[in-house]
Order: sequence, then C-alpha cells, then structure tokens
Amino acid sequence: MFSINNELKTKLTDLNGAIARKYSPILNNDFDMKTFLEENIGSIIKLEKLSDRELSKIKDKGGIVAVDGSTNRKGGSFPHYIELYQGLAKSTNQDVEDVYLTDIYTPILSEIKENPLQDEEETDEKNRRLAQIEVKTALQSVKKRAPYALVMDGGLIRYTIYAKELWKELVEYCLLNDVILFGTIKDIKTKIIGEELKSKYKDLKGPLYDREILFGLLQYKEMLTIYDELNKKEQSGFSSGFIRSSLSPNVVGIDIIEEQKNLLFDMAKLILTLTPENSRGVPLFLDIVDKEVKITDDLIEALLERYLDKDIYERLFVSERDKRNL
Amino acid sequence: MKVLGITTQQEFYVGSKDRNFRINEFLVVEDKQGDLIAEVVEAQTFNRYIPLNVYGDFVDASVIESMKALGYDVDEETIYIAKLRLLEEALYPVETGSDVRIPKFSEIKNLMLRTKKEEGLVLGVIRNTDSLYDECEDEFKDLLYTFEERGLVKQREIPFIMDLKSMHQYPHIGVFGGSGSGKSFGLRVLLEELMQKEIPTIVLDPHYEMDFSDCPDYFKDEKRDFNGSFKCLQVGVHVGVKFEDLTAGDLKNLLDASSPLSDAMNNVVDVLFKNKDSYLSFSNRLQALTEAQEEGSVQRIQQRIENAKNNDEKEAWEVRKDLFIQYDKTCPYNSVKGILWRLRRLYNEGIFSKDSRDIENYLKEGFLVIIQGSTRILQVYSTYILNNIYHKRREYKDAQYKKAAADYFPPFIVVTDEAHNFAPKGYESPSKSILKEISQEGRKYGVFLALATQRPTLLDETITAQLNTKLIFRTVRASDIDTIKEETDITSEEAKRLPYLRTGDVFISSAVVGRTIFARIRAAYTISPHTQNPFDELKQKKNEGDEKFMRIISDKLPILGTDLLNTIIEIERDEKITFTQDELIQKLENLYKNNLIGRENTPFGYMYTKL
Repeated sequence: MFSINNELKTKLTDLNGAIARKYSPILNNDFDMKTFLEENIGSIIKLEKLSDRELSKIKDKGGIVAVDGSTNRKGGSFPHYIELYQGLAKSTNQDVEDVYLTDIYTPILSEIKENPLQDEEETDEKNRRLAQIEVKTALQSVKKRAPYALVMDGGLIRYTIYAKELWKELVEYCLLNDVILFGTIKDIKTKIIGEELKSKYKDLKGPLYDREILFGLLQYKEMLTIYDELNKKEQSGFSSGFIRSSLSPNVVGIDIIEEQKNLLFDMAKLILTLTPENSRGVPLFLDIVDKEVKITDDLIEALLERYLDKDIYERLFVSERDKRNL
Repeated sequence: MKVLGITTQQEFYVGSKDRNFRINEFLVVEDKQGDLIAEVVEAQTFNRYIPLNVYGDFVDASVIESMKALGYDVDEETIYIAKLRLLEEALYPVETGSDVRIPKFSEIKNLMLRTKKEEGLVLGVIRNTDSLYDECEDEFKDLLYTFEERGLVKQREIPFIMDLKSMHQYPHIGVFGGSGSGKSFGLRVLLEELMQKEIPTIVLDPHYEMDFSDCPDYFKDEKRDFNGSFKCLQVGVHVGVKFEDLTAGDLKNLLDASSPLSDAMNNVVDVLFKNKDSYLSFSNRLQALTEAQEEGSVQRIQQRIENAKNNDEKEAWEVRKDLFIQYDKTCPYNSVKGILWRLRRLYNEGIFSKDSRDIENYLKEGFLVIIQGSTRILQVYSTYILNNIYHKRREYKDAQYKKAAADYFPPFIVVTDEAHNFAPKGYESPSKSILKEISQEGRKYGVFLALATQRPTLLDETITAQLNTKLIFRTVRASDIDTIKEETDITSEEAKRLPYLRTGDVFISSAVVGRTIFARIRAAYTISPHTQNPFDELKQKKNEGDEKFMRIISDKLPILGTDLLNTIIEIERDEKITFTQDELIQKLENLYKNNLIGRENTPFGYMYTKL
C-alpha cells in the first residue's frame, strides 16, 4: 500500500552507520565503562530499600511533599496562543491539603516584541513561568506544614536559572526548618560523564549525554554518585547521582542541595523504595502527582470555550491546525 | 454525592468520594425540578492508581505498602460512581452538580410496598433496602427469614409482597431460571404462600418434589404445618380418568397426548366410540374388529362361523361379521390397531382405573392439589383434567352471566414446573392448547397460570407473552437471556447480571409495578423430599446394610471359613434370609475391611471374630 522512498531508506541506513561510528569507542566491549566510571566519575554503590520502620519514621517527621508542574498550550503561532501553568504540591500525609497554583500567559498582552530570537524567548518565558510556579507551590506547601522532605520534579539547576530569587527563599526556608530538598530527574540531560570521557579520549567527537552512557550499565538498585569536583564543574550548589531504580535499563537522576549532601544516599534509597520494580524507574508518588497536575487538552478547550467570549476565542486562539480535524 | 457529567431526562451518573453504591438501591436527587427518585442501575468504583497502573507501569504491591507506611493510602483515592435511572422521566435533564441523598422510607414506600401482607404473597425481600428497614412500619417487619452466606438470617430488608388481587388485571406468573438457580425453591415459596391464603391450586409435578410435609432443620422452632392444606395425588394410583365420563373429544385428546393421532385414527374413534362406553366395551369392539379384519373378507368370517366348535365361538364371530360389514370401509385396519395400542398403553399406566373427583373436591376446599406422575403421563392427564376443570369453571361463570343455574366451581391457579414440556414452542401438543386457552382468556374466569421453566426459549411464545409477572433467576444460556430480554422490561445492565445472580436472588419484572425489582426469595418453611445428597445417601445405605448384617451375624461369631454352610443354615432359620457361600464371604470380608469384625488366620483358613 505504501511505497517507501528509496532515498529515505538509504538515509536511514547511513544514519545508523554514523551513530554506530560515533559510539564505537564506548559501545566497544573491550572498553570497561564501569571501571572508567569508578576511577573518574564517582563510586558505584548498591542501595537497599528502606524498611517499613524507616518509612514510618519519615511519616512521623511529616512525610514527603512532591512538587510538579504542567503547562498546556492552546492556539497557533506567536502571539496567538495561550498557555496555562499549574503547579501541585502533594503530601504523602493525606491530612495535608494539596496546594494548587495556576498561571496564565499569552504573548498578546505581553511586552515581548516579535524578533528573530523569538522562539528562544518564548521557551524562556515558558520555562521561567513553569519554574516559578513550581517553586511558589513548593514554598506555599512547606510553609503550611514542613514535611520531612521536599521532592521537586526534575533537576534543581532549572530553578536557579529561571526562578533564582524564589529558589533562594525556598532553600533558606528548607535549611532553617530541616526540610530535605532534592530533585528527581526522570529525563537526565547532563553530560558529566561524556565530558570526562572526551577529555580522556580525544577521538570522541560531539556531545555525549549521560543517559546514553548509563543505559543498561548499572544493575538494578545500583547508584553512581558523582565526585564533588565534577559536580562543581557542571552545576552550582548541588550534589548528584544516578540510580537504576527499576528493572528498566534507564537511570534516573537525583540532585540534592549542597548543604544536605550527606543525605543523598538516604534520599536515593527513598526513591528506590517508592519505585515499582517493573516500571520506567519513576517513583510512583511522583507519577501520581504528575497525573494529578496535568490538565488535559480537552479540559483546556472546554475551559477556554466556557470562559472566553466566542469572538475572542475564535479570533485569537483557534489555529488552522485545530480546524483540520473538523 | 453529586450528579456528574452529561445527564439526560432518564439517566445520569452520580459520584461520591466516601459512599459506595449498591445496585438497585434508590436515591433521591435534589434537582431544581424538585426531588426525583432514581434507582442505581450500575455501580462502579474507580481508582486512578489501582489497578496499579500509572502511565502504563505495573505497580507492585510492595510499593503500595511502602507508600502506606509513609502515610499515603492509595485506597483513599477511590471514588464511587453509579449510573442512576429515574423512575419517572423528568421534564428536563437532571442538573449536573445536583446533590443526591438517601431517601426516607416514606418517600419510596409506594414504590415497594403497595400491598398489605394479608392481601399478597410474601415471597422475599427487596435487595439493598436494609438502610430503610428501620423506618419501615412494624407490620412489614419480622415476616420472614432469608438465607445468606452465614446461614439463616432474620429479615432486615423491606419485604417483597406480590399483589395477588392484581392478578385479575395482570394475570399469570412465569418463573425462569437455570437448574440450581433457586427456581424450584421459588416455586415452593410461592405455593406455600398460596396455601396460606387458601387459594385453590393445581400443581403438575413431574419431579415428585412438591411435597410440603417435611420441615427443614433450620425451622425446627418455628414449624409451619401445611398438612391439611395440600394433597399429593398420583395419576393411576389416586386419580385417573373415568372412562364412562369421556366424550369422543376427550378420548381423542387423551390418545393424542399419548402419541399423535393421524386423521384416520381420529376417524376410528369418532366412528367406533359410543357414548357411555366402558373401557372394556370399547376395547373389545376394537379388538373384535381387528380380528375380523385379519380374516380379510365376509366369506372367511362366514366360514369361521360355520366351523365354530361351540355356540359361544359362533356368536363371537357373528359379532365380528357385523362389525366388519359396518366399519371395514371407514376404519382401516392399521388405524384401528393404532388406536388399540394407544388405548392399552394408557390402560396399563392406570389412567382409567380411577376418577378425577378427588381433584375437584380438594380444589373446592381450597387445597393445593399436587398431581404427580411421569412427564409423559402428566402431559396426557393434564390435558384431560385441565380441560375438565377449566370448562367447569367456565360453565359456572357463563351460567352466572346468563343468570342460569350451575354448579359452583372456584377460581384456581395452575402451577407447573418444566412448563416447556406442557406448552412447547414450535409444535402442537394437546396440553399446549388448553394452557394457551387459559393464558389468553383465563383471566376472565379467574383461572391463572404460574409456569416455571429453565428454558423460556422453548416455551410457547403466545403463552410467554401473557405472563404478566416474571420471576427471573440465574440464567446462563445466551438464547434464554435473549428471550428474557425480549419478553420483560429487564434492562441490558440487568440482563448482564443474570448469569451471575446468586441462588435465590431474582429479578421480578411485573406489569403491576412497571419496572423490575431485585429481590431475594425467603427461606422456605418446607423442604423438598429430594434434598438429600445422593452421595450421603449411598454412604447411609451402606452403613445401614452393614449394621443390619452385623446384627444378624454378631451372635454367630466367631465363624470359621470352613463352617460357612452351618452359619448360612442358621441365618436362614432365624432371619429367613438366604445367602450363598460366596455372598456370605463377601459380606464378612466387607465387615472386616471396615474394621467391624476381626479376622484370624487358622490352619483351617480364616476365622472371623468379634473385635
């Protein structure tokens, strides 16, 4: 039924060859990556799950609050779209009410002028608002009742870039009130190991990401911690590691603020404990929060149709693409 | 509890965070249009995180446990959703977001209890009404017991009382359900209630199970005595057909019910049967005619007459000659023979040995009359007896209408299990025509049907359509469920539940109420004679046999293997029972195997000893 363009086939074959060449030094069986890691990056340790007693101690100390944010976009290209942000802080202590914060953004009402760098600025604006709403939500939640630990969704560095002031406030508050603050990274984007590799082996070219290297390398329950000096090179004020928290070959990352780096293992164990063995590696509770914070596209549409004038909605926010399926 | 989602004038969804819903319970919606009563037709629970699936991940129990230890109980995220149907269509769709509450008893009393217990049949309880029981009036409390998992339980739900009087408007009852679904047991409860109300009832019982003399163990303290309210009559033993009272039509019906008659056979009966014939005179006539026909011609019969050895024989052949001349042309030999066979078969079954007067008398007394016999016999006999009593009742009513005098015959109810045998779909059967007649016009004369069957699909459709109240027990066969769906107002949700109903749970679809009620049949006060488990019975019989033999043998022990003959003689003398040597050894070995006697090895073979 479908005829495939031969050129496309050739291009895909070539691509595969190129990728294979690029990774040949490290995908090579002779190369002992684990030894390299232990010599240059950090130590590999086997973690144990927390016992119920340890868990109930955490419970008594206020439980865990997880924070996640979501964004939805509706409309066409700049400036005719609207973005909704929502942050949720949910505690494992079901007596503590969930904290929801929302924000709306549309370039129609903003100062940003159309310019060649517009795409980048748009993304910046989006990241900024999302990071801010997450930190605000976290702040509001910990101020209401201080938990034992506060888990942010994703790496912490994002907050220092996009929500600097608020983040500082949050860190200070957490330190003052003995709240452990760490982030769990489902989708790691760092290049710590890659950079190290490249500095040792000059024939490696292009960026090499940690997720590529760590894929399937660690055993279930193993954790790779990063030496302090490398941490410092990469980011500001965090201590981090990678955990294979499920049977899936992917690893998840963990960031903890510098001042609490002695608790890195404990938090890693917590992540391991809360992650189903046969999952993608994300702690169940984070998935729950993620699911609750998400607003579906249908809901957004319904909300916009309900609360915006038909004229405004159609004029500004319905794109040609939206109408294609009609 | 709040109304959710998209609603219509008939149906809508209700959600709750803390209260689970039960199917068939009533709820009140506080809508802008006023309070509306609705029934739960589907109940669901939903948890976003169980069945342990978030973003396609399979969540194992250990993580759930760990989360619990952390203080986060995933179970608490469960929400309850119910689909509700309004009992009466509303003018506008129900407003989403309306509050929903549990009704007060007074609000729904009319929906459930239209009849006083004195005027109706207390068949069981309406399921899922226990929250209303306390508010219910005392006259409806403590009427019955039900069987639950933990055994006999006092009534704690609102009773289901079937309105007897409304039968006049909405006649006939159908009882459907597969084997083991509680159908026969439901029928038993129905009959018990009819007895208590002293309604004349005739029951066709092919299973010999409708006996009401035995009381089950669980009702030892509250024994109900139905003796004096029912009478079991066996066809051929207690009741039968008085041959002299038969008309040619009756006789043809009987013979036809035995096995179908051809046109020629019908003609034979019409021609040969004389009014006031006795069985003997009729069968002799048939016999004589066949013998004449076997001779083949008048000349040969004449020869027989001439060659007769004595006067009797001569006379007999003369009778045959007359018959031959008169009937040979109209009655073919094979048909006469066919009628004769059928007639003899009925005779041998004893149908002609008794009359049916008892049945009529007991009915007039308000008894429950149970007619027992094999399915075939009952097919034959019911045709006769139902025709007979139905027309008696009919004559009385017609005469009353014409203001003429006639013997009183009471209204009555006809009850039968395995009704598809008596009124099958697709082919004619004599008992079907009378049942059909009653189903169509019995209402006018106060004659009603209660038909039970496990195969509603096989029951005649005209009759099924006339059953205004239907009790539907567990049904598994898809074709039967389809029939039930067609014939009742049962909803597709309810039909889906049919294969999974517990024994004794029943949907009662009644034209009187106009909707289906989910009920549970009460515990019966009597017990079927067939409730003993056949495997218990085997064991018991064996034990009885062993004990009996033990008694016989015990004072003869020890018995030497070589001395069996003497023992056999002694037993024969004392007990009048004869054993062969092998039988005796077998029995002794059996006792030894069951550790009832001992066995020792001696130089003369085995010696059986007392233990």
